Amino acid sequence: MTNRFVCRVADIPQNGLKEVEAEGGLKLLVASAGNEFFGYQAQCPHQDVALCEGLYDGSVLTCHMHLWQWDIRTGAPIGLAESPLQSYPLAVEGDSLVLGPEPSAIDVGELFRGLNPATLEKLATLASSESHPAGAVLYSPGDPAENIYVLDAGRVEFTIGRGEGAAPDGFMLKKGETFGWAALLEGYPQRIAGARCMEDSTLMRINGGAAIGVLEGDASAGFTVMRRLSGLIARYLALRGSG
Amino acid sequence: MRIRINARNRGFQFDAAPGESVLYAGLAAGIDLPYECATGTCGTCKAKLVEGKLRDAWPAAPGRKYVKPALGEYLMCQCVAEGDLTLEVAKFVKPLEQGAGGVVARAGRLRSPALLVHDVMAFDVELDEPCNFEAGQFMVLAAPGVEGHRAYSMVNYEREARRLRFVAKRKPGGGFSEWLFGAASEGAALRVFGPLGKATFSPGLANDLVCIAGGSGIAGMMSILARATGEGYFDSHRGWLFFGVRKLSDAFYLEELSALRARTSDRLSVTIALSDEAVPEGAVRQWPLLAFEKGFVHEVAGGALKGHYQNIRAYVAGPPPAVDAALRLLLLEGKLTADNIRYDKFS
Repeated sequence: MTNRFVCRVADIPQNGLKEVEAEGGLKLLVASAGNEFFGYQAQCPHQDVALCEGLYDGSVLTCHMHLWQWDIRTGAPIGLAESPLQSYPLAVEGDSLVLGPEPSAIDVGELFRGLNPATLEKLATLASSESHPAGAVLYSPGDPAENIYVLDAGRVEFTIGRGEGAAPDGFMLKKGETFGWAALLEGYPQRIAGARCMEDSTLMRINGGAAIGVLEGDASAGFTVMRRLSGLIARYLALRGSG
Repeated sequence: MRIRINARNRGFQFDAAPGESVLYAGLAAGIDLPYECATGTCGTCKAKLVEGKLRDAWPAAPGRKYVKPALGEYLMCQCVAEGDLTLEVAKFVKPLEQGAGGVVARAGRLRSPALLVHDVMAFDVELDEPCNFEAGQFMVLAAPGVEGHRAYSMVNYEREARRLRFVAKRKPGGGFSEWLFGAASEGAALRVFGPLGKATFSPGLANDLVCIAGGSGIAGMMSILARATGEGYFDSHRGWLFFGVRKLSDAFYLEELSALRARTSDRLSVTIALSDEAVPEGAVRQWPLLAFEKGFVHEVAGGALKGHYQNIRAYVAGPPPAVDAALRLLLLEGKLTADNIRYDKFS
């Protein structure tokens, strides 16, 4: 895949922000920090607010609407922000900024992003990309929990209970969101919720046991993944509250 | 009518009465649906209609600029169910923390409306039932037969309050505010919904306190300072209040602010920022416990706070340009973390 033209280097103010439209129509926020340039989604992941209207001091970007903040070098959330920014790695070619191939769902995945590249590559080898039409059932309560899934595109909804008693239990719609965690846990061999595609969706499927095998070979990555997984589980527990 | 909300993390169900806003019904049912202004301007309560029929009570609401009607998106604060409804909220939603007694629709009566300055009115609402709220919260008020409802911050702070005090700025064309400045009379019936808002103060905090208010944004700060002073917060913490108005003749509550200053010695400083005139001679003589400076409120705050940004919790309220300038100051110059800046966008 060839690089796409984004803008001229001179278009971006020093330690400043600008929204630009890359070749092909993709809208991007481009930030300059020292001699480097970073590309991110143009809109805040919270509400549809243009991030170029945000506050930026050369290292931390703040959306003016609700003060969500991100580290400009990584797109990682800081403080109140509940999700990272989707990154679009930029390169300088002559006097232009260009956009390389987009990172995969696993590279930006909430469990895996930022891991050692060799480990990410092993995980990517385990992953198979699958497309499902709207309405397709990925798994039902009681099914064996063998695989975890990373959403690439589309939308997946969850339900608890069966038949008449089935109740919605949330949905996923962002690239890199990960579900089917039970496959990474010990002692949870069965699905407790059902998962269904509500739109045509593309997913990366990874066998849980094989992923654990890779992570055992890179204990530091394994620790990071387990720490993030605990964070996800804790978050869902906290949101469940008393109701 | 049964309302189902499918949120990012789980589903919720509750009932709404005929004519009741979906947002208010959900909050009253103990579900912390996303909102900020609760009155149609901020766009935070956006939801997508999945199934059922609803009526949009205010299709021209300013907050509609944040929704995409072609995708079936609505503002929950303006939605009225016309049958069972399923809505999708693309956010994480949790049950409300069971604190002060929940979010409730109440009946009240207008008491003691009085002009503070030419375009600002103080008034009380006497409630049928006592009410608890946090310092910094607001209520949505509506008068039967008057179009529109408005959010106003409480000025007072007390437990089991039977009376809530508010200030309102005159807004030409604003239904409730026009009514208040015109046809409203002592004892008029009001509907009161709340308390709402997350820009709250409680004395468990261990920070120095900065309050930056423009115009009627001072209301919530009065409540915060009343609570802080009442609990001796300034015995162990510093406080700064910056109150921005155009001219000295637009300022109000100077008597009350002087009294707060007198109770807190010099641990609380109160500065009135005048954007449109030089500080009149005699201001300091008349109000010796208050400071006066010429400038926009964020400029005056920036000058006074230099070197004092460590360990600060800031509250900001007022017209949007004043709020944005204050946020810029606190984030970029003060390097405050976002969780130490509290404000509700409801202007």
